[in-house]
Amino acid sequence: MEWLNPYNIQVVTFIILNCILAISIFITLATGQLSLGHAGFMSIGAYTTSILSKNADLPMFVAIIAGALMAGLIALLIGAPTLKLHGLYLAIATLGFGEVVRVILLNMEITNGALGITGLKSLGTYIYDGMKAVGITSQSLGLSVPVIKSLSTLVFLFLLFLVVLFLTLRLNSSRLGRAFEAIRADETAARAMGIQVNYYKMLAFIIGSVLAGLCGGLFAHITTAITPTDFNYHKVVEILSFAVIGGTEVVWGALFGAVALTALPEVLRGLAEYKMIFYGAIMVLVMAVRPRGLIGSDTLQKLFRRGSKKQNEQPKGVE
Amino acid sequence: MKGITKSLLSALLGTSLLVGCSSGASTPSGTAETPETNTAAPAESAGEFTAKIGGVFILSGSSAAYGEAQKKGLDLALEELNEANKGKLKIEIQYEDTGGKKESAINAVNKLINQDNVVAIIGPTLSGEMLAAGPVANEAETPIFGISNTVEGINDIGEYVFRNSLPESIAVPTAMKKAIENKGYKTAAFIYAENDDFSVSGFQTMKATAEKMGLENLGETTFSIGDVDFSAQLTKIKQLNPDVLLVSALYKEGSMVVKKARELGINSVIVGGNGFNNPKVFEIAGPAAEGLIVATPFSPEKQDEKVQNFVKAFEAKYGSKPDQFAAQAYDSLYIMSQSLLGAGKADRNALRDELAKLKDFEGVSGKLSFDEGRNPIGEAVVVEAKDGKFVPFE
Repeated sequence: MEWLNPYNIQVVTFIILNCILAISIFITLATGQLSLGHAGFMSIGAYTTSILSKNADLPMFVAIIAGALMAGLIALLIGAPTLKLHGLYLAIATLGFGEVVRVILLNMEITNGALGITGLKSLGTYIYDGMKAVGITSQSLGLSVPVIKSLSTLVFLFLLFLVVLFLTLRLNSSRLGRAFEAIRADETAARAMGIQVNYYKMLAFIIGSVLAGLCGGLFAHITTAITPTDFNYHKVVEILSFAVIGGTEVVWGALFGAVALTALPEVLRGLAEYKMIFYGAIMVLVMAVRPRGLIGSDTLQKLFRRGSKKQNEQPKGVE
Repeated sequence: MKGITKSLLSALLGTSLLVGCSSGASTPSGTAETPETNTAAPAESAGEFTAKIGGVFILSGSSAAYGEAQKKGLDLALEELNEANKGKLKIEIQYEDTGGKKESAINAVNKLINQDNVVAIIGPTLSGEMLAAGPVANEAETPIFGISNTVEGINDIGEYVFRNSLPESIAVPTAMKKAIENKGYKTAAFIYAENDDFSVSGFQTMKATAEKMGLENLGETTFSIGDVDFSAQLTKIKQLNPDVLLVSALYKEGSMVVKKARELGINSVIVGGNGFNNPKVFEIAGPAAEGLIVATPFSPEKQDEKVQNFVKAFEAKYGSKPDQFAAQAYDSLYIMSQSLLGAGKADRNALRDELAKLKDFEGVSGKLSFDEGRNPIGEAVVVEAKDGKFVPFE
């Protein structure tokens, strides 16, 4: 039970949170749209959730869902004019959107400007309070309170992640997923085949934004304090690099990227000051050897066609 | 190509698994169940006992300069204390880097508490990091000691949270009172960085203090961290012609504001927030810095034996003068050691109780006590810029 300490649990919690973020960027990228507005949507979700749960005293889960929907609503408004843009132009427009959101958050009274919203109730505390209400306490489980709180956060996030992953996999093999793939491969050809390109692009953009908003709400209640700087340009790059390093062709790629990039800084903690050098070197190496990401659709096919030996190794890295 | 990729992948996986294993294996036993430290703690005060303290600072990234200064201050204090307390107490410090990131600060604090079994934590560097990581330590009943967190509300996190960094609500009013009172100034104008939590918090304190002192508020203008041109805002202030100009910003933008203000011919007395406590102010603002008034918890020019000894030792070890961050870090370890000796064992709860009792601690950054809310009660030195350095203001 030694490994079951809040530190390890916390790291895994952040890994899973980033996995959901990776899915959110993956879905947007699935239609070939390079959106850099994810941190913006995340902040909308985070602030909506925090204000609703702190100022309006709504139950946390309701607030988190409301935050996700709010991000989706804004995505609908933003998507209409910007999704006509392609490639770099879309990237710049969405990047601008993210910055605008950040500046608005900095200047609004209700968001408390640069000081941000602090003293939020943590997700673990909330779940534990619920557990106590039905008679489960730390004594009856034989674990200390911090362990239970972090563990329940992890279990909740993991279940949520499984649901999101299941839906994403279903989506990929559905009519929608094939339409997304067709659009990414060639927009003009897809249109010639009778696919309503604008509709599907918008849909992918909104799904991605809702997921980002969801992560924002969760992030707020895991870290218990948010400021506009948490959602600046660095966050955008971080989210994007999950997909770029891991691969954008299959969802496993983006997930692997999220796991690797979140775990690496912690694994490399022992190297102290040299940590970032190794981190950077690994990224450069990956890009040099696998410019399309570590895991592509071909990787999976090869692995599953080969014997069971390789199969054993693969799921470990992916999950 | 295929082969390379595969071997690379497996190598990567392999190393990460290996590292994961080794760090897991080194975990001391019984960490998950008991929040108490398992450091051997003999009850007799005669024997030597070891206390492991965590240091969580920004040691990489754009704000690493602050963390480095804090680490230097701690290392110096560590050397001196382990020498002085030989046979009684041995302190070890384990440093963790946050890179200025909130998630990383939470992870670092969690790691120190649960894996390294520290008895207390010093840091993190930024107030934002403390607001996120403080509750974690508080929940785990581990004292966490901020040495550079100046925003309001830090101590409200919980009863395991301490700090020796004077909140702006003490430092800023001290500077303003000393600079303004009995001089007949009647009007004030404000300029601050609106996208920085530290600067906004400082501004709010300035405004409240000005109101209390009966200064007429002529106007407020804002800019952003990263701006380089402040002419529009300062032209407006010049028209207002206030007796006192209050600037709340980080040193870089703040110094540029001061420089530009003097260039435009603003002759008001300028009082700056805590952000100006940096020798770089003189590099950037040059002669325009003359007359700038700032409250600081620490001034290396202060004629006090303790301060001068510290400055000398610091210069001998690192070849540069200590700043406020190094001084507060240095003091924090002395406070820790004093409280640990008082507790007689490396126990988190005993240490907390001892820390809460702290009274009239004489450090290089002034006298320090805690009130019942664990807020630091200390004194700030008011300094004035003169001939390229800060000297005590008269």
